[in-house]
Amino acid sequence: MISEAILSNRRAIIPYVTAGLPDMETTGKIIQSLAKAGAAAIEIGIPFSDPMADGPVLQQASKRAIDAGFKMEDLFEHLPGWAAQCQVPLVIMSYINPLMRHGLAPTLRRLKTSGVSGVIIPDEPADAGALFVLTQDAGLDLIRLVAPTTPAERQREIVSQCRGFVYAVAVKGVTGARTLMPPELEGNVKAIKSLTDLPVCVGFGVGSSAQVDAIMRFADGVIVGSFLMERLMQAEDPVAAAGEVMKILGAPIPEDI
Amino acid sequence: MKGYFGEFGGQYVPETLYPALVELENAMESAFNEAAFWTEFEGLMEDYVGRPSPLSLARRLSAHCGLEVWLKREDLNHTGSHKINNAIGQILLARRMGKARIIAETGAGQHGVATATVCALFGMPCAVYMGSEDMQRQRLNVERMRLLGADVVPVTTGSATLKDATSEAIRDWVTNVDTTYYLIGSAIGPHPYPTMVKRFQSIIGAEARAQILAKKGALPQAVIACVGGGSNAIGIFAGFMHDPVELIGVEAYGNGVHSGASINFGFPGVLHGACLHLLQDGDGQVLPTHSVAAGLDYPGVGPEHSFLAMSGRARYGLVDDRQALAAFALLNRLEGIAPALESAHAIAYLNIYAQDHPGACVIVNLSGRGDKDLHTVLEEGL
Repeated sequence: MISEAILSNRRAIIPYVTAGLPDMETTGKIIQSLAKAGAAAIEIGIPFSDPMADGPVLQQASKRAIDAGFKMEDLFEHLPGWAAQCQVPLVIMSYINPLMRHGLAPTLRRLKTSGVSGVIIPDEPADAGALFVLTQDAGLDLIRLVAPTTPAERQREIVSQCRGFVYAVAVKGVTGARTLMPPELEGNVKAIKSLTDLPVCVGFGVGSSAQVDAIMRFADGVIVGSFLMERLMQAEDPVAAAGEVMKILGAPIPEDI
Repeated sequence: MKGYFGEFGGQYVPETLYPALVELENAMESAFNEAAFWTEFEGLMEDYVGRPSPLSLARRLSAHCGLEVWLKREDLNHTGSHKINNAIGQILLARRMGKARIIAETGAGQHGVATATVCALFGMPCAVYMGSEDMQRQRLNVERMRLLGADVVPVTTGSATLKDATSEAIRDWVTNVDTTYYLIGSAIGPHPYPTMVKRFQSIIGAEARAQILAKKGALPQAVIACVGGGSNAIGIFAGFMHDPVELIGVEAYGNGVHSGASINFGFPGVLHGACLHLLQDGDGQVLPTHSVAAGLDYPGVGPEHSFLAMSGRARYGLVDDRQALAAFALLNRLEGIAPALESAHAIAYLNIYAQDHPGACVIVNLSGRGDKDLHTVLEEGL
């Protein structure tokens, strides 16, 4: 379902939104606004106190959401409604600790029954074999990351454990919009694509329509996190701002897909 | 499983760093199997650090507590704590790997000073991440690091202490992974760090065991060490792991409930690359900690300690700020030694231990000296 949603969208943009910022009700409206504005899928970030793969913007977003009282129970309460309201697949992005707190297996099953289609866990690269089995049992797509530093042999192993799409990390570093994309990105994405029929989407550092243009020439989609969250945190009306950012990035309006 | 101590440990890092951990593990294994590596390490331990550190019988403290107390004097090492053992070992490894730049995190500043020192010795650029809160309470160490040529980077995110400095160091590493070596200061982090740090710090336990056998002709009943991340504790425990000796770690209890002590009050979780006992709420958010000892102000603990606690091989006691400050004063007065506030937690535990084990022979790892803490101690009104 995730892979079809990406492959059938001619400019597949996957926005990332931190859950509970400024509150759960608004997050729901932002998700709807993103879906209406042509998102291929939507990544919902579970805020974490110690997000070591994130740059300043997403750190700030996490902190603000936690300070505003984010609770996992609230998320589970809201997810089914969000999934029902929008026509695009929802993907959970979470560090492993919040998912482990009450048992990884039951938490993953609960995400599935709440309408989530897939999960991205950015800090579990080593024993992902176990995670692969758990997500499969839960009926969730596991989206794993391939980094610029990942050697060819390991790329193959990672891709074999992916469902939904393959997440190609654009840059060495933490999340956050950057002006320049590394020249080796295209080659990396092409190498991954040669290993799989799954869509390959590029994330970390994407922050302009021109970058989306450039990446879409060789990839199947882009993930946009910090660029969006920075604008949502500054906006008086984050719901409207979400749609505007999608427009800036050149997302196709849904009838147009 | 490799890199695990029971269910604890592992390699929970961003994918970008995973290949660097593999590279590090390979470099470590090849170095550890090479006699020349250890010859150089041991040469520096002797000539630069001043090892072996003495094992001193603390006569007046013994009489005061009703125990026979021996102090393993890591406070007498160059730079004033056990941290230098690990810093020397890791910089030798970094040099072997051809890394051009060193980064580190620090809480009390002892590891930062040790790292800045070895970087000066080996002529390598160095950035030390330190919580802005810790920079306030450990001003002297900040100035020392700067004198040694290190770039001390203030970390203002989160609680602005060791936990956040560690996250920020990891963010630097993920960005500069090709050129940079992350010189982690405690027995924490992803595999192979806990194993590597233990190996370098095990010189403490190996010496202490030989020294007590030579001086007393018998093993002690217990070995006591403070535990934050737990590198000094795992280092001295390593020497007595297979002996009939009680291993006791002392966690910082700060102001009381919810201040710290992850083995006593935490739940298994993942922080900074490893599964360990973690102070966290019901949602898996890491809780803020407080201890008068900046080096113990950390919500996790080395994964091997988590394992030793679960297996029962070691046990972990509690000492609060007030008890640690009293022990700081006591050791000054009775033995003429100013312990680091971290190490003062282990000294304070002697009173607790003596209640059930009168007359027992114990070794306390005096992991660092307390000059850096005078400012804090005076502020606390001692």
